[in-house]
Amino acid sequence: MNRLRYRAFCLVSSLDAWIGRRFTPAGLIVLGGLVISAVLGIDTNQTVAYQAFTFLLALLAMAMLSAAFARPRCTASRVLPRFGTVGAELAYRIVVTNRTRRTQRGLLLRDTVPPAVPSFDAFLHTREPGGGRRNWFDRTVGYPRWSWLVADHRTADVREMPLGTMPAGEAIDVRAVVTPRRRGRLQFTGVAIARLDPFGLFKSWTTLPAAQSVLVLPTRYPVPPVALPGARKYQPGGVALASAVGESEEFVSVREYRPGDPLRRLHWKSWAKTGTPMVKEYQDEFFVRHALVLDTFGTVGSEDRFEEAVSVAASFACTIDTQESLLDLLFVGPERQCFTAGRGLGGTDKMLEILASVSLCRDKPFSVLHRSVVDHLSSASGCICVLLAWDDARRAFVRHLRTLGVPLLVLVVTDADVSAPLDQGPMSDQPECVHPLRVGAIAEGLAAL
Amino acid sequence: MKTTPLLLGAAVLFWGWHTDLLPFAATIALLLEGSRLVAWRWNVAAGDFRRVADGCALVFLALAVYLYSANQTTRAILTVIQWLPLVTLPLVALQVYSMSDTIPLNTVFLSLRRKAAPTPPRPWRTINLAYPYLVLCLAAAGAANVRGARFYLGFCLLLAWALWPARSPRDSALVWGGSLALVVLVGYAGHVGLHDLQRHVGDRFVAWFTPSPIGEADAARTRTAIGEIGALKLSDRIVLRVEPGRGSPPLLLREASYTVYASSTWWAARAAFESVRPERDGTTWALTDDVASREAATISAYLRDGRGFLALPTGTTRIESLPVTTMERSPLGAVRVDGGPRLVAYRVRAGPASSLDAPPGPADLAVPPAEASAVARVAGELDLASKSPADMLDTVAEFFRQRFTYSTYASLNAGDREPGATALGDFLLRSRSGHCEYFAAATVLLLRAAGIPARYATGYSVQEFSRLEKAYVVRDRHAHAWALVYHDGAWRDFDTTPPGWVNAEQAAASIWEPVADAWSRAAFLFTRWRARERTGGVPDGLAWVLIPLLILLGWRLYAKKRVARLKTTAAPRVLITPGADSEWYRIARRLEDLGMPRQPGETQSRWVARLDGAGERPLSTESLRPILDLHDRYRFDPAGVSDAEKEVLKSGVHAWLERHQSA
Repeated sequence: MNRLRYRAFCLVSSLDAWIGRRFTPAGLIVLGGLVISAVLGIDTNQTVAYQAFTFLLALLAMAMLSAAFARPRCTASRVLPRFGTVGAELAYRIVVTNRTRRTQRGLLLRDTVPPAVPSFDAFLHTREPGGGRRNWFDRTVGYPRWSWLVADHRTADVREMPLGTMPAGEAIDVRAVVTPRRRGRLQFTGVAIARLDPFGLFKSWTTLPAAQSVLVLPTRYPVPPVALPGARKYQPGGVALASAVGESEEFVSVREYRPGDPLRRLHWKSWAKTGTPMVKEYQDEFFVRHALVLDTFGTVGSEDRFEEAVSVAASFACTIDTQESLLDLLFVGPERQCFTAGRGLGGTDKMLEILASVSLCRDKPFSVLHRSVVDHLSSASGCICVLLAWDDARRAFVRHLRTLGVPLLVLVVTDADVSAPLDQGPMSDQPECVHPLRVGAIAEGLAAL
Repeated sequence: MKTTPLLLGAAVLFWGWHTDLLPFAATIALLLEGSRLVAWRWNVAAGDFRRVADGCALVFLALAVYLYSANQTTRAILTVIQWLPLVTLPLVALQVYSMSDTIPLNTVFLSLRRKAAPTPPRPWRTINLAYPYLVLCLAAAGAANVRGARFYLGFCLLLAWALWPARSPRDSALVWGGSLALVVLVGYAGHVGLHDLQRHVGDRFVAWFTPSPIGEADAARTRTAIGEIGALKLSDRIVLRVEPGRGSPPLLLREASYTVYASSTWWAARAAFESVRPERDGTTWALTDDVASREAATISAYLRDGRGFLALPTGTTRIESLPVTTMERSPLGAVRVDGGPRLVAYRVRAGPASSLDAPPGPADLAVPPAEASAVARVAGELDLASKSPADMLDTVAEFFRQRFTYSTYASLNAGDREPGATALGDFLLRSRSGHCEYFAAATVLLLRAAGIPARYATGYSVQEFSRLEKAYVVRDRHAHAWALVYHDGAWRDFDTTPPGWVNAEQAAASIWEPVADAWSRAAFLFTRWRARERTGGVPDGLAWVLIPLLILLGWRLYAKKRVARLKTTAAPRVLITPGADSEWYRIARRLEDLGMPRQPGETQSRWVARLDGAGERPLSTESLRPILDLHDRYRFDPAGVSDAEKEVLKSGVHAWLERHQSA
């Protein structure tokens, strides 16, 4: 039964998409008129609406037939930028060449992306936000949920645009705009060009092969400068990772001793002169090294939380100044991943590329990430954890990090409809270091950091 | 309004022309197209659009309910559709005279209204109502069911007008015009074919496969009770009321006639229905061109679901005051109507002989083989072959009157019947007792055997005059069957059932009959009152329902606005500005008084920092800082300050002011 429902919905969606793609606004009105006249004119004795019906039917049939002939011969190629961002308009150029011997005018152009068809599994298990408030019928039949799911699976919103006049054999530049809806690689399958029928009701599309792709980065939010709680823990040892390999320490000055400075850096002579402990300071002595931990362990239905978590991680990756510090991105994909950016080691863009492609991990337990982070912590001075839930496993993880003495900033992404304040748990003595971020109000949540 | 100039007005006029509401239509067209001439526009808020849309919906509902209660469903729906352009006018007019060319989509779609406002807020999608209104006008014009070419041609013209601006820039006007002409031709051929097809299919199949409700005629066949055993029981329910015209009432009202008899069932062979066009007023139906007819009777009857067969006297030429949407007649004299109210009271004009029935054919002389021997034997006994047609009829009538008795009870045991004899044969030869179906069927077959074309007719016999009703009443039990004979070049009724049958039926009447009659009378009067109200003119009756509704709506709209206004005056929106009552402002005023005003855009803390050591008498701003810190927290910290801290702030300010007053 579910399978049947799924098939029926797929059919309805594709029909809907077909109608939306093929008919102009005038064509849609004619189509609506056709349906109305069919209903009104069902009994040819009662009304004369059947006369309108046959006329409109003939009109549409004529439009569809004539649009199918004389399709224009063209070629097209795109000039794409390197990146796009989810939700932000991506503008690029399409070069269309007229391969016919006559001037083409009145054509339409539209970039094509694969259609959004949710999988059967997604149809069965995805929960619509606020879906519980729908009425009994909508919940049972599930079509509103389906249309939400289709909208959610769209890879990009493409827009149709007029092509202008194309002289015979010449190429023209068209500025195209798409709005990516999902991060990752946005695949363009081809460039579609349409001609209208004489009445301007129906569009006949020809798809020109032009398969290309562009990487879509996650949404980034503005993040205030992060000051990780507790004393900043400076530590040497990042040098080996820096672009200048070897002993590149350069003496800068002598300064007063601060708790935590290693004893071997004490400058005894200065201490003797001044009477206070002094230490030698080097140019690139210590790197601040943050660990950015992204939780990828979500259950079915946590997709939107995960997307927001990725966006939060990307926001931090962009904001933390990797000119003077290192940032380790830690997450578990198919296997444990650690990517370091900063100090010439691969830039923020690389990290965003990685974040653009990260996906939920469903075959491993959270403990894999736990172990991975703990192994790595010896070199980290602070840790930002972006978590998808605040359950026992995650609390145990945070508690463990606390016992290791790492300054923490814990961000828990919660569902949009959660309004209860977060139980601080192991962070109860540092409530300012744990923040819930509600889906749909992430920017506000981050601004309050 | 970005629609093609004058298009909407033309569509409205087209609607008015078809629905006979031309004065309304002309006003509406002027109103809508006049917007191009006036320079002013209303600034209409989304809420006003919604209110007007609600008002339209309310009027629509009221109209639908009213028409539904007064009419049969199909007619009610069609009338509502015809009135739609008038009902939706306020919304369209509001759009036309508003600042925007469109209205928000959630105005017209209730489901969208319930949807939560999107975050971040973005404007609703909008819709230009002009084109949907155009479609509505065309649909309403179509629902008026004006036959002939004018609807089609007008429709094509308006659509061409509407489509012209949308045409593709690729093709020339010649291609466009040629394609459109082709479409017009194909559409014309299509609708003529479609209409014929529906008539054909309806006649061929629907009549055969649709089971008829009990008590209603089936023009294709009628199953008789010939051969059935036991008493025939029919109810006392009044089905028809007949007010005779000039002279005596017609004795027999026919619903249908049949030609072929086989195993107790009469069939109407090759009797395809053809539709009858009403005259200009829509309620007069001329069946023949015969004008020399007289007013025969006014017949009141109930139509189940607005459709049924009319009971008509033989010779009917014209039916008046019959508000149905379609009428069809068969060559066998059956008249079928559809789309009428629950109660119809139609006036019938009739001539002396039937002109509705088709001339006799071979089927009207056929005697089924199963009955042939019995019929031939009786015909032989009566020596019909040697007589003239008029004598034949007399002989047959005399034969049945003298030698047969009427009985609704068939006490026949299977054993009584001669071997091989049919029920009808047994009636003719042995029992000689039965009900009207026996008499009618036997008469038809006997006359056919003698060479006179005859048909089997069913309907009602008009017998009983009711003093309560001051009219003849026809009850269910007055259902009758008789023969139609073709004599002197016309079909005539020929009833051979013994006259005593009415008394026999009367004897079986229930003792509750007077009570039932009174009730029936009350129901009839009520239904007729409602029907009169309707035929008295839809606008009149409608007005009584609509005017209070509109007043109510107007008042509600006005009241809503007033409430909104009252609210704004009574309770101005409170801007929550915590810390607005901070004591700090006293210091700020003092500083300004001392000639050290704050620069525009300068924050309080910068101001204080700037004042450090400034002025004629250097101020000690050190003491100001904690006060300012407290003030800032009071003013801007979401968590606010405690009461104790407020006290500290107050006392600090006092102390500072004291110091600087005395200084």
